[in-house]
Amino acid sequence: MWSRSVSTAYLAQAAELAGNPGQLAAYNSQGHCVVLAGPGSGKTKTLVLKLARILAEDVQAPRGAACITYSHECARELNRRLEVLGLRETPNLFIGTVHGFCLRHLLMPYGRLADLPIQFPLSVASQRVRNRLIRQSGDRLFGPNHPYKEIDLGRHRRSVLNRNSVDWRSEEELAAWAEAYEAALRQEGLIDYDDMVIFGHRLIAEHDWVLPLVQAKFPVLAIDEYQDLGVALHCIVKRLVFEGGVRLFAVGDADQSIYGFTGADGSLLMELAAREDIEPVRLQMNYRSCAGIVSASEMALGEIRGYRANDPTRQATIEFVPRPGGLSDQAAHAVAQIIPAALASKPGRTLGDIAILYKDYRAGDVMTEAVAAGGFDYIRVDNSAPYRKVALTSWVEDCASWCAGGWRIGRPQLRGLIDRYLAFYRANLDDAQARREGQELTALLWRLRNDQQPARDFVASLRDGIVDRLLAAELVLADQKEQLDRMTEALAEGGVLAKLDITSLGGRDGSPDHLNLLTLHSAKGCEYDVVIMVGLDLGNLPWLNESPEKLRESRRLFYVGLTRARDEVHMLYSGYVEGRYGPMYRGRSPFLNELEQRMRAAGF
Amino acid sequence: MRISRVRLINFANFSNIDIETDESIVIVGENKVGKSNFIRGLQLILDPGLSERDRHLGLEHFWDGLSANKVGETVEISVDLMNFTDDPRLMAHLNDCVIDPGPPMVARLTYRFQPKAGLGRAPESLKDYEYVIFGGNDPEMRVGGLLRRMLPIDVQVALRDAEKDLASWRNSPLRPLIEDLAASLDDEAREEIQDQIDEAHRELADHDEVVATSERISERLMAIAGKQHAVPLSLGLAPTRVDALLRSLRLLIDNGVRGVGDASLGTANLIFLALKSLELDRLVFDGERDHTFFVVEEPEAHLHPHVQRLIYRYFLGSEEVGEVKLPMTTVLTTHSPHISSVAPIRSIVLLRHNAADGKTVAVSTAKAPFTQRDEDDLQRYIDVTRGEIFFSRGVILVEGDAERFLVPAFAEALDISLDMLGITVCSVGGTNFTPYVKLLGPGGLDIPHVILTDRDPIDGRVPLVRRRLINLLDVVGDELDHGNMDTDEVIELAESYGYFVNEDTLEPELFASGLADAMQEVIGRELRLAKNAQITLQQWVDDPDHVNKEKLLKWIERIGKGRFAQSLASSVSEDVCPDYIRSALEHIRDVVA
Repeated sequence: MWSRSVSTAYLAQAAELAGNPGQLAAYNSQGHCVVLAGPGSGKTKTLVLKLARILAEDVQAPRGAACITYSHECARELNRRLEVLGLRETPNLFIGTVHGFCLRHLLMPYGRLADLPIQFPLSVASQRVRNRLIRQSGDRLFGPNHPYKEIDLGRHRRSVLNRNSVDWRSEEELAAWAEAYEAALRQEGLIDYDDMVIFGHRLIAEHDWVLPLVQAKFPVLAIDEYQDLGVALHCIVKRLVFEGGVRLFAVGDADQSIYGFTGADGSLLMELAAREDIEPVRLQMNYRSCAGIVSASEMALGEIRGYRANDPTRQATIEFVPRPGGLSDQAAHAVAQIIPAALASKPGRTLGDIAILYKDYRAGDVMTEAVAAGGFDYIRVDNSAPYRKVALTSWVEDCASWCAGGWRIGRPQLRGLIDRYLAFYRANLDDAQARREGQELTALLWRLRNDQQPARDFVASLRDGIVDRLLAAELVLADQKEQLDRMTEALAEGGVLAKLDITSLGGRDGSPDHLNLLTLHSAKGCEYDVVIMVGLDLGNLPWLNESPEKLRESRRLFYVGLTRARDEVHMLYSGYVEGRYGPMYRGRSPFLNELEQRMRAAGF
Repeated sequence: MRISRVRLINFANFSNIDIETDESIVIVGENKVGKSNFIRGLQLILDPGLSERDRHLGLEHFWDGLSANKVGETVEISVDLMNFTDDPRLMAHLNDCVIDPGPPMVARLTYRFQPKAGLGRAPESLKDYEYVIFGGNDPEMRVGGLLRRMLPIDVQVALRDAEKDLASWRNSPLRPLIEDLAASLDDEAREEIQDQIDEAHRELADHDEVVATSERISERLMAIAGKQHAVPLSLGLAPTRVDALLRSLRLLIDNGVRGVGDASLGTANLIFLALKSLELDRLVFDGERDHTFFVVEEPEAHLHPHVQRLIYRYFLGSEEVGEVKLPMTTVLTTHSPHISSVAPIRSIVLLRHNAADGKTVAVSTAKAPFTQRDEDDLQRYIDVTRGEIFFSRGVILVEGDAERFLVPAFAEALDISLDMLGITVCSVGGTNFTPYVKLLGPGGLDIPHVILTDRDPIDGRVPLVRRRLINLLDVVGDELDHGNMDTDEVIELAESYGYFVNEDTLEPELFASGLADAMQEVIGRELRLAKNAQITLQQWVDDPDHVNKEKLLKWIERIGKGRFAQSLASSVSEDVCPDYIRSALEHIRDVVA
């Protein structure tokens, strides 16, 4: 008999749910369940425990569960938490993005059988190739400097699934552009990330025989951050769940839906929650923020949600901070005043407990400059970060973490690193192969253990030893290779991360010695003692003259920022923004006005 | 779930075979033709017990026909599976292996022994080889050990040492049953057994004779070593713990008088198979397996024919135990006509040596163009003697027993040795040759065959043989429009297919061809004919052209056509052989040779 891959560690943790009826209901749910989880309500914990329970009690290998989440970072966090419960990614437990799911579990096994008009074996376009083809196809259609935006092209492709519909043609230029671009991709035998989901959806929508196959492999489908996943996944989910008999466990918070520009839509989650055949569960206890912040964020949202703080006695700091000198003044104030005060106000608090949140990378540049001038180490997560976080770069970081001392305490676990490495191979390895690869990786990592070495050397050795061979063999990883190349470049002499050592590479998220600089979007799912939001001026958050829909999303973005904080929120503004033709004095963000007004009315 | 297709390329006896199969598989073939290698091929894909070394083939496993050019070739074996969609666990196992979404959905597993990928040069030896086992059409989709553990092939080899397996505790199929038994005993039952054993032990040990013997030993011990060194001794039963006792349980036969070791080979085999089938039930019940490909090689070993048939029926029928269908695919190999005669007609996979190419070819009945009625017909009529046709190189299909006895006699007279050529004479018991032609034709077993049939003329009407032959010509896919052909044209056409017709019916034909005297003698011996009748018969003998066929046949039928033919057989000679029989015999002789 094969050994159970599931430990019973979840039972001990599940006992902690006793005081929380919502979490308990989700944990005990038998059928389809949608968990509407407020900020800090322990949704990830609930999801992870439920998954562990399902794997231990409800399904047995080779059948299993697929857990789809928004980003590689979210998947990594889930993996980390599951590891504590003695669970890890195995052939019958998928944890990853919707792209990964569509690629590995829909397109690869069934794409050929369905005669999808793409080339097998699949090859994914790197970002560079993609950008080139998008630019060329656009220029060819509309001439250089045309007014159409790439971001809208992506949204259109993702959100209009039926290419024969009026909706698709209604934005004629985007439709033409998309078709020209896709033709160019196919010409080169490539697919891009959006194709994975588009074709994944087509496979599920058009071929009935796929449903029982997916249901056989994954009788349970868990989805995290449902509000951030687009309409394609929503259709895939509905078809699998209501026509394919797959059991659904979805978690999300429509109030935190901030990816509308990519085609995401928080109302899809509410549509599910309203169905008769789905058990809705609300998590209203906030374990993160103190009471003042919980109330204030509900006021900022302008909706009654009934959220409560777990510990009502903790004192909140909520400050509206005017800085007349613009963004750089805000940055300087944060560095000179807020951060030192925050560090001093609680014993044991470190830079890692503090985050500066901003709208986009331009603001990030300003913040970075001030923080560096102030002599603080920092971690920056936004579009101008030296490399994007993809599965491969995350894995390299975790390998660094293991070699930099993690091996002493088994965190991350070597077994998990090996499994994730094996998962990079585009198809199944047989046992002997897997064993050989695993042994080789183990030997390499064992040799590379060294707490003090430049990250550059570590990454070079890892690539030389094993990763470059993997990349040569697996074309599907071309886009991830590009990010690893950028990491390598940044670490090289003269690169922006030239001074990084292995420990910092391994701890690139959540290092106690580094101040966190990140966009509001990247902050989702994170939490900090002290949150400093900058640039809260009309013309920035929100933009001028936003459509009502956009305005609602901006409000949610503001709400996401507020709800990251445990103890302190500092909201910095100047009353004007820098425009193309100089400063534009439009006043501070209306969200601040409303919030201050409501707080005053409530007697804060 | 069942196997629907098997392909073997460059493996052992097989250059390239590709056969479709039905619910269960009965592999029929002469010794050395490759029945075990066929199974071995399946094991390379499905057997969880094979080691990596076992799967790394040697040159001796390549098809011999490759002679010196083996290095560089690829061995490939694949098995297609169907009917798994009603079990989600099987679907999950086979998820990445689907090659046709269907319906019916088909999954494929492939073993390939090939020059290493990325070698960058021609392989020099088998050191440059690797094996892969993959699902579907994508060699990168490797199949792991879990699938083999959960869907294993379980092979009972031909000359198994059942007695030894039963005797050793570790390998015994009895062991899990005893362990279940031990686990099922509650404390009370254990205590009761323990008490009974203790009591029996005490009784035995306290018996005067036993005590006396132990004292004798003790005394001698003391005499040798003295009181200081001698240990106290007694005689008793060992062991006495319940678990140890249970482990020492053995199967006994003949009311407990003898152990299995004393049983005949056949009985030991039978017991072994019974235990094995119980074990399969248990593995499925405990969820340790999701499906078993259960292979018994030559289940007939050491068994009486009727027991062979019973065993066979059991293993092909045993997929349904009560209402529950056991997840099992049965594969049997055999060279016993007893077994093949009771095999479901669509289950036959026939392996045959092709001497010209030095390879084994395979055919199967799974996709033969039988109607349900054909199938029922064959199933009903294929008995042991007809079962022989599966092992034949050529078949002569005849209408009845008369031909069955006489045709071999004529063959001998013509110096055509049917046994040596491997030709069987098979009576279809009537004139319905169609199912047999489908069975033996290219859509089925592809065995050369001829037909001998009577013209059966009817006064003033078209002879019956016309319709009979047209039916056959339709089956063999003749594109001509037979409706417009007259009887003689049809007969002429049929002859080119090896279907031979006489002028009338067999017996009058023989009478006319020079056997009149011999036939008169047999009739005279067997029937007490009236004087008048004797005179009539003599007149016919004198002038065979004026024989009254109806009357002659009536007399022969009174004797029994078979008995009559048997008696007549000793009188046949080359000179008296009717033309159609001679033509048929020469035809089949030439085709087989």
